This record gives sequence, structure tokens and C-alpha cells, in this order.
Amino acid sequence: MYILNELIKEFREYIKYHFINHNKILIEVDKNILPKISSYIFNNLGALYCTSVGVDERPLNGLFKIYHIFSIDRMNLFIIVASSVDPAIPKMPSIVNDIPAANWAEREIMDLLGVVFDGHSDPRRLVLPDDWPNGVYPLRKDFKYNFKEVARVEKKYPFRKIEYGEYILPIGPYHPALHEPEYFRLYVKRGTIVDAEYRGFGVYRGIEKVAEGRLTYNQIPFIAERICGICGFTHSTCYCQAIESACKIDIPERAEYIRTIMLELERIHSHLLWLGVALHILGFDTGFMYCWRIREPIMDLCELISGNRKTYGLNLIGGVRRDIDKDKSNRVIKHLKELRREFKEFTDSLPSIREVIARIENVGILDRNTARKLSVVGPTARGSGLDRDVRRDHPYAAYKRISFKVPVYSEGDVYARLMVRVEEIFESINIIEHALDSIPEGSIIAENIEFIPKVYGLSATEAPRGENIHFLITGIENRIYRWKVRAPTYNNLPSVPYMLKGENVADAPIIIASIDPCFSCTDRVTIVDLDKKYVKTLSSNEFIKLARRWR
Amino acid sequence: MGRSTFLKKAIEVGVVTKRYPYTVVEVPDGFRGRPIIDGDKCIGCCACTAVCPPNALSAYEDDGYRIIRIFYGRCIFCGRCADVCPENAISLTKEFELTTDDPNDLNYIIKLKMVKCIICGRYFDTERHLKKVIENMKEMGLEIDTDILMRCPEHRNLNNASLIGLRREFK
Repeated sequence: MYILNELIKEFREYIKYHFINHNKILIEVDKNILPKISSYIFNNLGALYCTSVGVDERPLNGLFKIYHIFSIDRMNLFIIVASSVDPAIPKMPSIVNDIPAANWAEREIMDLLGVVFDGHSDPRRLVLPDDWPNGVYPLRKDFKYNFKEVARVEKKYPFRKIEYGEYILPIGPYHPALHEPEYFRLYVKRGTIVDAEYRGFGVYRGIEKVAEGRLTYNQIPFIAERICGICGFTHSTCYCQAIESACKIDIPERAEYIRTIMLELERIHSHLLWLGVALHILGFDTGFMYCWRIREPIMDLCELISGNRKTYGLNLIGGVRRDIDKDKSNRVIKHLKELRREFKEFTDSLPSIREVIARIENVGILDRNTARKLSVVGPTARGSGLDRDVRRDHPYAAYKRISFKVPVYSEGDVYARLMVRVEEIFESINIIEHALDSIPEGSIIAENIEFIPKVYGLSATEAPRGENIHFLITGIENRIYRWKVRAPTYNNLPSVPYMLKGENVADAPIIIASIDPCFSCTDRVTIVDLDKKYVKTLSSNEFIKLARRWR
Repeated sequence: MGRSTFLKKAIEVGVVTKRYPYTVVEVPDGFRGRPIIDGDKCIGCCACTAVCPPNALSAYEDDGYRIIRIFYGRCIFCGRCADVCPENAISLTKEFELTTDDPNDLNYIIKLKMVKCIICGRYFDTERHLKKVIENMKEMGLEIDTDILMRCPEHRNLNNASLIGLRREFK
């Protein structure tokens, strides 16, 4: 393999061990060379950063292990750089200076595993709450999954200091565009956002820990499905694929097609939901109602196929649980035809609503360079000219047998991200029709599945919001040893402060929403004016009104 | 095409929101609603409790009875219990309106009579499950002494070489 030869040529004396699969390279290096080799992979080989995983491998070999995962999209290749650190002195060099995208992942490892990254530019807490005591690390194996009594300490999050003339506009702790409690702190100067900080993970649930501690292999798809309220199926598919790739399980072709069909149905309803919410934020409620009305038949189709409109519960390791018969397939095709017609009418008419277009054109720009530096994914990346789509670059399920277009826009504004999603809906309709047309006969679940202990599994899927990574190490007794989930928003959220800088306050809701988080009506915003010393809490309606009055 | 399209469409389609809960909402066949256990078919083998991802299904012993309990407050309606049930005793209904002001409504309980171990007097299995074991053994051409069958797993293992009267009868 060309890439591996390059790597070995460059770092011959440092690479201790490597392992190759058809689309994976795992190399183990000394921790001191880690920044150099990561930077080489990121800058010279043109790889994009995926995530970092910290694993407590003390029961296996007495070490903490860090895996940095990179993806070279054009070659369908994942490069995993592993390095170990002694638990007595858990310190290792940070790669953030060369790869800013690793910021969050390293902070998460510092929080949860207690490995300190030397030279990290921003070693504040990310995942753990402020009152969590120092020195208690939930992802270590000696921390029980059901342990509850942690002594809390009084501590405040160290936000950045306010400069003269700035005032703070906190958005949260419930976010105007997300279901989850998340907190953006905007630093505003005369109505213009000069800086933004993010403090989230208010609902970190420790799903990974529960899965490692309590659940068996075939129970995890159901908890994986509940990671996200909209794109759950892509998570359970990704988990199952990771196990299937680790344990070399071949799944029947028909199951792959059924997964593809469900994934695309999910993408359609997720994008339509987002489109509706975005138009609602901009004050165009007719469009919002239109999108949500044509979305409803898609939910009914999901219910018809899987037995529920959300949380389909279809995936098991080795295949799917329910088949799509002729009758169902005809109904899907009929409804999709209807959807295409209605959505076409919608997209043809949308540009004539000038007040909507004026609010999203040249707003919230994320340039290609920053996008690459932060390794953003999905429509956020494609709207900024980064041509990446897991379905095409790392083909999985039935995507290898189906051809489709990947829309890419180079403007990087909210409009570009909107157009990417609009075009993807049409592509998804084509994919489903093609898949239903060419679905092969046969069984839907593999039989005689055997799990291999202590092997690596890595899988990526294209969720509606972008690339979704599951990394796992299998364990003994029907349990996984470590399961790491990286949802797409994890890579996209750090880009929001870059988009917000220099924009008007009233544009903040749509910019934050443009990376496609979900909307919650219970959100509220507090305005704190330091000069006048007044605090005013706006309800979500008032905030949206403010957003709509603008321009 | 343009602004008028939206207006025309809005007038043409009208109100699509259903007047729920004042109207009945139809769900398709195969809907995964409230799971129920057929008390006549259940043998108390506990396969469902082992597979249930959120531990909504549990089994415990109460005064000579094995209680199989579904707690709908935890149930995620995945239907894995129905998949694995060897007797097809569990089925998913089309009911989805489970809101209640009494938490006891969220429990579904099956009571099955248990048998005592003839050595230690401990309740160890349900009557129906033991009957099923005998049936299955017969199908396989095996016969088992009731003396051994009525022992709990620990006492079956003791001196099993001399006690087990397993005889394979070739047909």
C-alpha cells in the first residue's frame, strides 16, 4: 500500500507495530513522535481528522492507550495512530497545535480518562460538569457504570474575560435551536458578535460506559439508536457495521439494501425537519408548515416498514429484523413520487421569497480552510467546498452498488448549506427508488454469528448531519470492551464560533441552526448588559421575534 | 411560480393536523406497541428477561410463584422479547396510549406456579417449564428420571454419575 510505504519510509524507526485491513491501517508509535506523525498525516497525506479515543487498557496490558483516527477520503482509508502511556505518569504530547480539530476529543479524554495532554491550548473541562471533583475519571475501568455517589465540589467554569465595550449574550442553558441543553456565550459589541464560546455536554449520559458495563452485543443497537432523536438508525447501523467488520461477519445483501433504504428515508425526514425549522426561525412559517406536511408521509412509511415512526429497532448484528415486501415497496414508491413532485414545487418557489434568501445569503460564512482545519463533516463541509461524503468515500451497506451525486457548494454560507440539503433530498429519493428496484432476494440476517474477542472495529456512516464514527474493541463474555461514538455534530459545533464572528446578533439563531441541530421550544435567552447592570430573560418567542424583526 | 404558489397550496390543502386525542389514530399492521404476555402459553423460561435491553422485563420468585413482570415505564417497544419467546407467548399490540396517573397500571404481571427441589426444598423452576423439558427430551429420544427432574440445578450435579438415569432409546 502506497500510503503505508510513505509512512514507513518517513518514520521507519518509530513505528512499532502495524496492522492492515482492506480499509484500515493501525500503526503504533512512541508517544513523543505522535504530534509529528499526526501532523504529517494531516498536512502531507491530505487526511482529515476524525476523532481520538482513549482506552483504559490496564486490565489487558497495564497501559492507557490513545488512538487518533484519520480518514483519507479519496482512498477509502482510515489511519489509526495508536500510542500508549504509563498510568503512573499519564502525560502525553498534544496534537492540537497542528490539528485544531482534535481540540474537543483531547479535552474529552482529559476529562474522562485522566490522560493529560501537554501543550494543549485550551485544557478546560469539556464533558464533565463544573462541580465534578478532580481525579475521578468515569471511563476508567475501576469506575463502576452504576456508581452514583460522587462528592460534588463548588467550582465555576472559567469563561474568557470581558473586554471593554463588550457585553455577553448567553444563549442557553437551553439552546434556541437544539433539543439538548447547550450553552453558547456570545460576546457582543454594538450588535455585532465579536467572539463566541461554547459550553455543552449538559446531558452527557455515559452511554458508552453503560454499554461496556451492562449491555450485551445485541442489546447495544437499541441504545445506539437512542443517541440521536432524529438520526438514530445511522448510529445503530454504524455500531453493527463496526462489530461486523471486527468479527468478519458477512451480512446478506438484502439486509444491506434494507439498511440503505431506511437510512435514506431517515435522511429525507431529517432534512425536511431541518428545512422547516430553519424557515421557522427566519419567520417564514408557511414554508415551515409546507415542509413538515410533506415530511409526515415519510414518517408513516418508516412506521409501515419498521413498526414505529422513529427508533426503528431494525438493526441487529448480522442484518435486519424485518423485511420489505412487495406491497410495502409499492407504497414507498408511490409516496416518494408524490414527495418529489411537492418538494420540486417548493424548491422552485422558495427563491422568490426574497426576505428568506436575503437572511441566509452571505451569512455565517465558514471558509474552506477553516472547514478543513476543523475537519467538519456532512452538509456543513459540503457547503464550504469540502467534497466529502462517507457514502461515496467509504462505501458501506448498498451504496457501493448504487450511483448518486454528491452536491458541493463553495460559498460556505447558510444558503450553501441549505442548498446542499435540498439537493440531497432529491438524491435520497433516487437512491431509495433505485434500491427498491434492484433489491436482491434472500435472507435478511446472517446466521451462526461468532464474536471474536479483543479485535478492533471501526465504521463510518453518513448521517444526515455528516460523518458518524464508531470505534470499538470487542471483549469477552458477550460484552464490548470499549465503544466510542463520535456523532457528526461533535465535529461541526466547534465551527459555529467561527461562523458567528462578525455577524449580527439577530443572525445567531439561524447560524447556529445551520449546522442542523434540533429545535426545542422550551429554549430561552438571557441578555446581560454589564453597563446598565440589567438582566432580562427573553422567552424563545421573544428571541425569535428579535431574529425576525431584523432587516 | 412564486409567492402565490405557497398561498394557493395552503388554501388547497387546508388543515392537515388531526384533532388528536379526539380522533382515533390508525396505526399499520406490525406496529410495535404495548407488549403483552399470553398467560396460558408462557412457561416462565425467562428468555425474554435475558434479552430485554432496558431491563423492562424482569423475573423473580414470590411465595412459590415465578413472577414475570413487564414494566412499561422502562419498555422501549423494540419487540426483542417477542422475537425470542420459544412459545410465541409474547405479542406486540397496537396500543400506544399508555399515559396514566397510577404507576401500577404500567405493570403487567404473569404468575406461574413453581416446584420445590426434593432435596433442599427450594423453589427452582416452573411446572410448565419442567413439562416442556420432558416433552423436548422425548422428541429428542431421551428420557429423564422424574427424581432428577425434581432437583434444583445444584443437587442435580451432585453425584450425577450415579443418579442420572438418562437412557438414549434409538428409534
